[in-house]
Amino acid sequence: MSFDAELIIVGGGLAGLSAGITATRLGINAILLERGEYSGSKNVSGGRIYVHSLVKLIPEALEEAPLEREIEKETFEFYCGEKKVTFSFEEKGKRNSFSVLRAKLDSWLAKRAEEAGLLISYSTLVLGAERESEGITLKTNRGQLTAPLVIDASGVTSVVFRSLGLRKFSPEKWMLGVKEVVKGQPTQGEARVIVGAVKGIKGGGFVYANRDTFSVGVTATYDSLPRAEVPAYDLVEKFRERVGVEGEVLEYSAHAIPYYGYGNLPSLTGRNLMAVGDSAGFLINDGFTIRGMDLAIASGMMAGIASKKVIDSGNFNDTSIYEALLRESFILRHLELAYNRFKLINSPHFLSSYPEILCQLLSDMFSVGEERRSLLEDTILRLKERGITIGRAIEDVWGFVR
Amino acid sequence: MIPLLKRLGLNSYDVDKSPHIEADTEKCVKCQEKPCIASCPAGTYERSPNGGIVVHYERCLECGGALVICPFNAIRFKFPKGGVKYKYG
Repeated sequence: MSFDAELIIVGGGLAGLSAGITATRLGINAILLERGEYSGSKNVSGGRIYVHSLVKLIPEALEEAPLEREIEKETFEFYCGEKKVTFSFEEKGKRNSFSVLRAKLDSWLAKRAEEAGLLISYSTLVLGAERESEGITLKTNRGQLTAPLVIDASGVTSVVFRSLGLRKFSPEKWMLGVKEVVKGQPTQGEARVIVGAVKGIKGGGFVYANRDTFSVGVTATYDSLPRAEVPAYDLVEKFRERVGVEGEVLEYSAHAIPYYGYGNLPSLTGRNLMAVGDSAGFLINDGFTIRGMDLAIASGMMAGIASKKVIDSGNFNDTSIYEALLRESFILRHLELAYNRFKLINSPHFLSSYPEILCQLLSDMFSVGEERRSLLEDTILRLKERGITIGRAIEDVWGFVR
Repeated sequence: MIPLLKRLGLNSYDVDKSPHIEADTEKCVKCQEKPCIASCPAGTYERSPNGGIVVHYERCLECGGALVICPFNAIRFKFPKGGVKYKYG
């Protein structure tokens, strides 16, 4: 049987391009199919990248990549009604994470991939996939392509896995992300993570400072949207009003985001198949950091290395080497580490009750009247009011720091 | 809705309004809850008088939400002629 390429990568985001660059460097004849007119045109992300994987893929990336600003200040904000708790931390010169606009970053990386020799076919939408005896045939809007090995980097809808019946749509494991790019003059690189600014949604929001814009966005679980105070199309606007970011809106976009957690990860491989990045459900939310791009790049690189090994072995049915590489790497380790907190964040009262108790405690501390309780007394009282036992609270705090 | 349309006007597409999603009216069961309406960040779906939905294709941002949220898989991606033009890049 003749193949169009040794490897076909579906999706030209960070994961797909990293896989393509790695595979091409290893001498594999690979084709990448991208739905948009250029890489990044279809992409929506919060806008913050932890750069360690990118530097591993392209060592000179910090000098050359179109990154926006180095994040020097982290701010966490909790809103509860009229009250607000803020916690912030500053560190300069760390060069660990940057704000980015993905349309620029992805097209830059695509250029690097093409320089490395990767063939990218733009405006090519994969409509379905079928298993042939020795490989996989992809049906696209431009005709059919067959390869013995396919990397699915098509994002959360993981089109190839789904077409082959290996994945189902699961709204409870996905979130909606909505983002606006707003004109403004940031004074420094800052990342704000905000909880509770829009009532009724399970999720949170963020504000990242770019060079001369702000990325402002909200993420919400799909099941909380029908019950939310505001319709999905007004989420960001309400959020912006609440957190005080004003300015001309340059861009409005939205995307579904994976939200699986280590214990619920979907299948990462199949016969002739590997999933990378969002397709594989690689997103970490551990309460401190929310990351997907570094995992996407690293998983793409590993899939590239794995495809070389699979092609060399000649046995395309066995792609387990990819999973083995993932297990050895930081990806699955970090996902596993974050899982405790991931579960906790998703427990029904964690993002509502505790912030409210904290707000109440602080409000009591800072108001002076005739009544006054000790902090311990007050804490116990406020926990009781919400029906949380002390044992439960200690357990939750332990779960969070563990 | 007006600020939303203004927002959409500012963003994303140049003028290309060709649809890039497709609602399969045969698969749509006209369900009561209409999660597609509640979860669409672009106001693409509206209630129609006959209990079904009206799809404003030109508003779609291709987030993929409706594909996920529709329990009956009545909404799918479709490729527009000439592609969708975005502002950045």
